[in-house]
Amino acid sequence: MTALRRVDLQVRRGEFLTLIGPSGCGKSTILNMFAGLTAPTDGTVLHDGVPIRGVNTRGGYVTQDDNLLPWRTTLGNVQIALELKGVRRDERHERAMAYLSTVGLRGFEHHYPHELSGGMRKRVSIVRTLVDTSVNVILMDEPFGPLDAQTRLVLQDELLRLWEGSGRTIVFVTHDLVEAIALSDRIAIFTGAPGTIKGVREVPIPRPRDVFHIHDAPGFTEIYDAIWAGLRTELTTESVQGG
Amino acid sequence: MVDRLAGPRDSEVWYEAAMRQRATDEVLRHERRVTRTVGFWQVAVLLLLLIAWWGASGRLLDKLFLSDPISVAGAFWRILVDGSLWYHLRYTLIETLLGYGLGATTGLVGAVVTWLVPGGEPVLRPLVLLAYATPKIALAPLMILWFGIGVLPKVVLAATFVFFIVFLNTAAGLAAVNPGLVNVVRVMGGSPIGVFRKVMLPSALPFIVAGLRITVPAALIGAIVAEFISSNRGVGYLINAASARYRTADVFAGIVGLLIVVLLMNAGVSVLERSWLRWAPRTRNPLG
Repeated sequence: MTALRRVDLQVRRGEFLTLIGPSGCGKSTILNMFAGLTAPTDGTVLHDGVPIRGVNTRGGYVTQDDNLLPWRTTLGNVQIALELKGVRRDERHERAMAYLSTVGLRGFEHHYPHELSGGMRKRVSIVRTLVDTSVNVILMDEPFGPLDAQTRLVLQDELLRLWEGSGRTIVFVTHDLVEAIALSDRIAIFTGAPGTIKGVREVPIPRPRDVFHIHDAPGFTEIYDAIWAGLRTELTTESVQGG
Repeated sequence: MVDRLAGPRDSEVWYEAAMRQRATDEVLRHERRVTRTVGFWQVAVLLLLLIAWWGASGRLLDKLFLSDPISVAGAFWRILVDGSLWYHLRYTLIETLLGYGLGATTGLVGAVVTWLVPGGEPVLRPLVLLAYATPKIALAPLMILWFGIGVLPKVVLAATFVFFIVFLNTAAGLAAVNPGLVNVVRVMGGSPIGVFRKVMLPSALPFIVAGLRITVPAALIGAIVAEFISSNRGVGYLINAASARYRTADVFAGIVGLLIVVLLMNAGVSVLERSWLRWAPRTRNPLG
């Protein structure tokens, strides 16, 4: 089965790029190829101009499920990447604790994942990716999908505060258009199976952004309508085919 | 980037945590209540069975074959006091523990090695399943032939009772790992060995512990069966000898001794389980 066809996508250094499109259009496949977990059948994937061979350990991957190691505490989960890269114990601890404080998880460092709420687990999952500074591109596959609407907003806000000014690149997959606009510098619109890119749009809303009132931001309606017009034809054909 | 940030919404997270804690406390209180009720009924049913046994013995069924709880308690007390229980139990205990240790170690190491060798698992697993399905009791006479009548054949038979279950459980545990966890750790820079140590093994641990738990009585059965066939000491011998002389109470007293051993070993595994699986959500365990 072909998931993608002729995808040509340039990600700019330090930008927040969102891939949006109907489900099953191969958005996740792009992330998997960038992480080096799936090899493209044709063509190449470059990271800083170098082709990716095998697993790309300079990319961080925040998956849809939080994928925390259930036998490790919050602190242990946040430290694992640093452990694998041979960072000293006291430095690991210090960096992990600093990040945990920024997302309000200080005091939960000795809790196991099953003792945390969905939102807290998601925070741990994001922080454990960000704590590894050798990672300059962060891939996020619908990370806030399973959360309730309020927690989603809070986490979007936290993510922006963690990312802004960090100089790191984020490639974010979602099918929520409002989320895409609130977070991104650019949005790449995907079309259905096999997936191709229909267009890329800049989001001109200035930063820092207020995700809680993103609807009121100047330019929001225009960009929303423009992208939605493109997506709607996709979604309609999909439902016609599906029915 | 970290220092730059303003204070997080601590209160929000803490509120959420407090609510969860309250819910957990409630569940725990409820569970304690249930445990007490269940415990009461367990004792009640046990007492009822003992009374039924006592009532039936000598009236409905011949006391020679059935004995009764009071005679068994008396016999147990007698062999406990005169030291014969401990004399025999000592051998059975050593055989069981050595066999258990041998079987569990080889089963665990075998499954891990099989998994590490590419293609080893699909080739070996059906063979191990086949060997597992073979009635191992049929091997007992051969064990005596091969290893004599000392402690060794008992240890080996007990080990075969343990090996297969631990092997298959470990293999199943390694196969059941969540591929998402493996991929996440690979992307973080985990080498194959790193992935094995930090993901595969801990992930298989609940399966391994389950294997270790269910093989406790199996090891004892192996040792006792080997003792039945040929021995001059051990609880298997004690039971066999008593039964040949129609001393039914002594047979049951020996069985009570074995029960105590199983319960103690089970408690040992529980200690292991609590320290290894601290991270796992609490689950009900019928064997405590």
